[in-house]
Amino acid sequence: MLIEILQQTINGLAIGGVYVLIALGLTTVFGILGIAHFAHGSISMFGGYLTYFLATSQGLPVLAAIPVALLAGFLLGVLVEILAYRPVRNANHINAFIVALGLTMMVEGINLQLFGHEQVVIPTGLTRVFRLGGITVPELRLYVIVAAIVLVVAMMIFVERTKTGQAIRAVAENRDAAILMGVNVRTIPLIVFGMSTALGVAAGIMVGALFAIAPGIGEGLVVKGFAVLILGGLGSFPGAILGGTVLGITESIAAGFISSAYKDVIAFVVMILVLLIRPQGLLGRAP
Amino acid sequence: MSNHTFTRACAALAITLVAGSSLAAEKKLSVGVADALTGGGAVYGLPQANAVKMAAEEINAAGGIKVGPDVYKIDVIAYDDKANPTEATNAVRKLIDRDGVKYILGFCCSGSTSAVASFIGNEKAVMLVGNAAERSITTKKIPNLVRTRPPADYTGQAAGTFIARKGQKRIAVLGALDVGFYAQYVDSVEREIKKAGGEIIAREVFSLKDRDMTPQLTKIRGLNPDAILVVGYVEPAAFVYRQAVELGMNIPRYGFTSGSEEQFLRVTTSEQMEGVWDLRPTELTLLSASKNGVAYHANYTKKYNASPSPSSPYAYDQLYALKAAIEAAGTVDNTEAVAKALRNLAVPPQVVMQYQPVDGKMFDVNGQAYTSNGAFQWQKGKWVFVEDLPSDSKAYSQFLSTLN
Repeated sequence: MLIEILQQTINGLAIGGVYVLIALGLTTVFGILGIAHFAHGSISMFGGYLTYFLATSQGLPVLAAIPVALLAGFLLGVLVEILAYRPVRNANHINAFIVALGLTMMVEGINLQLFGHEQVVIPTGLTRVFRLGGITVPELRLYVIVAAIVLVVAMMIFVERTKTGQAIRAVAENRDAAILMGVNVRTIPLIVFGMSTALGVAAGIMVGALFAIAPGIGEGLVVKGFAVLILGGLGSFPGAILGGTVLGITESIAAGFISSAYKDVIAFVVMILVLLIRPQGLLGRAP
Repeated sequence: MSNHTFTRACAALAITLVAGSSLAAEKKLSVGVADALTGGGAVYGLPQANAVKMAAEEINAAGGIKVGPDVYKIDVIAYDDKANPTEATNAVRKLIDRDGVKYILGFCCSGSTSAVASFIGNEKAVMLVGNAAERSITTKKIPNLVRTRPPADYTGQAAGTFIARKGQKRIAVLGALDVGFYAQYVDSVEREIKKAGGEIIAREVFSLKDRDMTPQLTKIRGLNPDAILVVGYVEPAAFVYRQAVELGMNIPRYGFTSGSEEQFLRVTTSEQMEGVWDLRPTELTLLSASKNGVAYHANYTKKYNASPSPSSPYAYDQLYALKAAIEAAGTVDNTEAVAKALRNLAVPPQVVMQYQPVDGKMFDVNGQAYTSNGAFQWQKGKWVFVEDLPSDSKAYSQFLSTLN
């Protein structure tokens, strides 16, 4: 029993890591700009597809393709901010909402046209399996967990310890005050979208390597990302980390010990139960 | 008759003949395809649509469909039903109402096919079903519907006998059990295993979009089964095989998936697949294929630069069966006559699958065709046909006739 619980926890950690990265990207955009960026999942998938394309059609080693895709993701995020969201920043919230939905459909369509309808798996060649007692950890899952931790720590250091990070937090706290303090609020959204999209691309690469990228997968991922946001607390970085990890492990344990047929349902029931007790989410601030 | 008049008469005759022959050459028979060209079902649907197009080109090149003095060239109109019941209904309505199509082929997936089957009986059209394996599609005795693929439980019975013979008693199932025909397959397997004193110890589920099956496999591993049985679409099934190895499950793996080598190798390595059994209708593999099958494989690969999926000939055979039925009925307009001719048809010589005729006919009274079933095993990167599975098409046909 203990071994099964530990195994299910490790199973859940890898997918939890993906949820954390997606949620961190979403929470950064939402916390600072107040935009529900629904296209985040589809753009993540674009990053996964791009890595696959670079690694297979262009013959780049996967380790070289990943930084190229991350950089492309950052630039794509900047473009999305300039072309899609900046024009509606001062308009009614519903405008940004519609732009987000339209962008989702557009990116899905572009993915379909560029990369086709078939699922693709990023070839990593990592097939070793580590065994400890009765627990098995595939090499690839271990690297995904480690990579997710590294990215989260790097993101936290950037936000907490750098001047740009402080500026981002200042804009999130009080935009007007930030302007008065001399923060360049025109460049902050660019950096936020760039970072957020790069994190999303990292999540897309992980999904593509662990599982597969295919049309429609991004939509499911973004739904989970928003669930994590609500579970952890809107706009809270530690909340996104905790929420993503909890959701991943809950899904795994629910499928293992209750029923695989209701895996998603059980995870969302847990989310609702948490919200009943703490409406602001696990680490969100009470209003 | 003057020379001048004679010359003019000859010219008029020549013009008439040329015009007549060109009119005959221009006769066109539009054939519809409704299938999953995108989405999760496309692994089955797209190869089916390709197979119909290839068969149409072959038939056209060989002179077309001959109906009395007329020769019809086939024009294929294919729509994407995304394996979705609503999309399939819309696609078929568009084919019938807007395009005026009377013959509709394809249909890879059961949900979408069942939706169309529910109203096709009221239409002046003939529906030829391919890979969709849900039993109820041919239990309703719809006179203008036939199916080339046998129902899943026909194959499940044979598969259960095979697994029981291998001596495994405690079988864990992991599959798309919310899909009717997969559940029917497992029910048939269970009946045969129980006869041999065995049991199904777990029925775990995955959906078409699931790719992480480690929670279910971890649970199954804890139950210490003798073997696992994986039933479902190729893509999730491939992940099950890969993740079972990653979890150190060194037990026999049986499956009902009908995926090609290429489709599995997009997800797993050949080493991870080694030894996996696929217990399914004897579809297309080079080792089990007839002469037609070998030619089909070569032509398809050349034309589409990809190997055909094992189940794709179900659709290819549809068009040859339709051609034979139209020629036998002597009409393209009277769909009732063509539907009747289909049910009286002997297996056409051009088909790829190895059908087991019932009373000498390709389709039984229910409109159902039967192929033999086979045990295929993954050996060194390929599906290898190992043996035929015991299958009694006549007995099953009688059983099918008793259902509503």
